[in-house]
Parts: sequence; C-alpha cells; structure tokens
Amino acid sequence: MTRAILLNDNDNVATLIDDGSSGDECVLQGEGSGTVKLSKDIPFGHKIAVQDIDLGGDIVKYGQVIGLATESIPTGQHAHVHNIESRRGRGDKNA
Amino acid sequence: MNFLGYERPDGQAGIRNWIGVISAMDNINPITRAICGGVEGTIPITTLFVRGQFGRDLEIAFDTLGGMGRNPNLAGALVIGLEEHSTGQIADRIANTGKPVETMVLQQTGGSIEATALGMEKATKLVLEVSNQRRQEFPASMLTLGVECGGSDTTSGLASNPAIGRAADRLVDDGGTVIISETSEFLGAEDLFAERAVDESVKQAFLDRVLGHEKRSMERGLDIRGANPVADNIKGGLSTIEEKALGAMSKAGTRPLVGVLDYGERPVHKGMHFMATPAPAVESMTAFAASGCQMIAFSTGVGNLIGNMVSPTIKVSGNPQTVAKMGLNIDYDVCAIVEDGRTISEVGDEFYDYVRNVASGTRVSSEVLNQRETAISRFEPSI
Repeated sequence: MTRAILLNDNDNVATLIDDGSSGDECVLQGEGSGTVKLSKDIPFGHKIAVQDIDLGGDIVKYGQVIGLATESIPTGQHAHVHNIESRRGRGDKNA
Repeated sequence: MNFLGYERPDGQAGIRNWIGVISAMDNINPITRAICGGVEGTIPITTLFVRGQFGRDLEIAFDTLGGMGRNPNLAGALVIGLEEHSTGQIADRIANTGKPVETMVLQQTGGSIEATALGMEKATKLVLEVSNQRRQEFPASMLTLGVECGGSDTTSGLASNPAIGRAADRLVDDGGTVIISETSEFLGAEDLFAERAVDESVKQAFLDRVLGHEKRSMERGLDIRGANPVADNIKGGLSTIEEKALGAMSKAGTRPLVGVLDYGERPVHKGMHFMATPAPAVESMTAFAASGCQMIAFSTGVGNLIGNMVSPTIKVSGNPQTVAKMGLNIDYDVCAIVEDGRTISEVGDEFYDYVRNVASGTRVSSEVLNQRETAISRFEPSI
C-alpha cells in the first residue's frame, strides 16, 4: 500500500511515507482521507498534489505557503523542485 | 490540567528536587564532579570557561550559571569557586530566590581532597534538608517547556515535531509557557513565524534576531539562506527553504508569539516565546535551563541522545529504526503517526499527558542514564 500524510486541513500537498509507483491509489492519512492516484513513480518523503494547483498558485504544507507552482500541478502529480519555486531563493541555484 | 511539583520560596514550582553543585569556573569542575559522585541527590553544573571571559561574554556566563541555579528544579545550590569574586557573583544571583545557597572558595579551603570532603559535607546537609519537601499539586500554567530538535530527518517534520507542537499548543492553552530557540533554523520562513507575533514590537524583535544572525553569518562567509535546502534535503523530498524551516518550527505549535528572549533570559509572560540561541542542542538547552524551563521536549529522527542537566529532556522520535536501535534512550515513540495512520492531534494529546507525568516525577532516560551535558555559549573569544 502507498500512503501519504496530510499535515494540515488546509494543505494541498501530502508527503509520501512509502515509495509510490505510477498508477498506485495512494491512501491519505493524518488530517486527510480518501485516495489519490499517482501519475508517476514518486519516492518516500516526496510530495504529491492532493488537489489541482494552478500555475502561480500557493503550495500549502503545515497550513502555510512553502512556495509557488511554476506550472499547473494536477492532483496526484509529483510536487517538487521541478514545479515548485521558493519565494526566498533556493540552495542549488544562484539567487 | 495539573501536575505534582515542589513549591519554591519565589513562587515557582520545580519538577525535581535536586541540589545543584555549580562550578564558578572551569578549574573547579573535577571537584564538582567528585562531590556529586559521592552525594546522591545532587547534579553537577559545570562550565568550560569563565576564566578569561570579560564584558558581556562574562555577564552571560554568570547569568547562565546563576540562571541554572535559580531553576525551580533545584531545591538549593552549592557554588564552588577558585576565588571569592566569581563565587559571589553566581551565589548572589541565586540567593534572592530564597532557596538555600552555600558557597565554598577553594583558595580558602585547601587542596582538592579537603575541598571535596568539605563540599560533600555541605552538599549532604542540603540534600537532607530539602528531602523534607513533598510534591503538591500545581496548575500546568506554572510549567515552562523548551522545544528542541537534533538529528532531524523526514520523520521529524512529519511526526515528532508536529506532535511536540500539538503538546506545545495544549500547554499554552492551559496558561503555560513554551520556548523555541535555534535562530538559524528560522531563516527562510522568518516572515511566516513573524506573522504569529502579538504586536509590532515583538515581530520586529524576532526579525532583528534572525536577520542579525544571518548578517553575522554572512560576514563570516557562511550563507545559510543560499545554502538551503541542501542537495540531500532536495533528494529527501524537501523543495524549498520555507518547507525545511516550517518543519523545524512545527514543534512550536501554532499559538501567538508573545515574547522574544536573548540567551538564557527568563520569560516574563506566559505563552509562546522565541529565544535567540546557537543551533547546537547542548548550548541551546543550557540556555533553556537558565531561563527557567523545567523540562525540554527534544525531537530526533536519526538519533541524538543528549539531554540537559537541569531540565529533564524528553526524547521523542517518529523514526521506527531509531526507536528500535536507540532503545531506552528514546522516551516517547510517535511512529504511530507514520506507521498506523494516527493523527498528530491524537498522538500529540497523549504526549501532552506524558509531559505532565514527567513533570510529576516520571523519569526520562537522559536522567537515568546520565546522558546530560552543559555548555554555555561564548559571545566573545577568551583574552
């Protein structure tokens, strides 16, 4: 079973606590419930969108904004550095 | 919600009834340890410096040693120094709590054998005297909890930090006090934490500490903000510096920030506080003890076992491998959040019950196994 934790009611991303494979029905736990279908293989500790997020939309975890979407992120999609940008700069890029 | 503690003459409530044997200088530590080795009921409070310290740096060292002596977990103190001045500086800071304070000056007592014998006699009398005290019921509002993390990993941000945060919220709601420290960990999300400030002056005080810390780090060639999240963090799934910082600060819960403290400073209000300290846990927890925290909740992922000498330190982990491998060194297991799908609020509420049990006398492993250390931060180099 592939599982992900939603840390706050208002979050739009959840964190995988198992390695997930494309097509898995990922079970949400913590402050969330139901399932989200994974659109690709996603490793443990990485985030998935639990609702559709628009281009430029807030990425919300811990009930707070952790960055902005640099493309639209559909539900079940991997949400990480390829489609999230910090509002404050990033470690592996020059500010 | 209440706990069973020891009443102190200054109106505070201790969760332990120790006699602190305090070194006024580094050169006294062996005698301090010898006395504590011979007298049950004492704890050694040592320092690596004081000799060679001047100005603000020395004041902070005296305030921190004195602050630990004032901590309500100590029923009394024996301060031992090489000479009268520094011994008096520390003893005077403790005496106005009304607790019994004895002093001993090595240059007056003789060699280490004589000093150890005399110190054991003084410490034994203090232990016997304070053992007449009994625990009584106090409201949770009289508790001050420090929240700390070390050896963090993915499970820290998902389980142990949020569970501690839930207990922190419960304590604040019960009228108690919580302190979070480790200034550098706020960088990148300082604006999000600043929004929790109760007013503009608290907000500005907090931002001044964090941005001042960043400026001083930059002057030393260390770019904390630009370096985070590091490549390992990104591989582990952290996408932004905000996400990393929020994971660390989730152990402070969600309640308003009511005050900003400098190293070892005592809070004057109840509620959630920030204290400006270096990130290393032993230094940060030493400041908690000096500020009057009776206990510390310490979240660890891959495992960091150290506790504070004066403030019993609860080790909390949500990493099943660490819980298995570190055995008795982990006091509280929150793996059920990840493993069994239990909610942070459920597990955090149970943890809050445990916090009050520790306040009432349930012992934690760092006390029993003596995984305890003291380190007072330096703010200037020695002369």
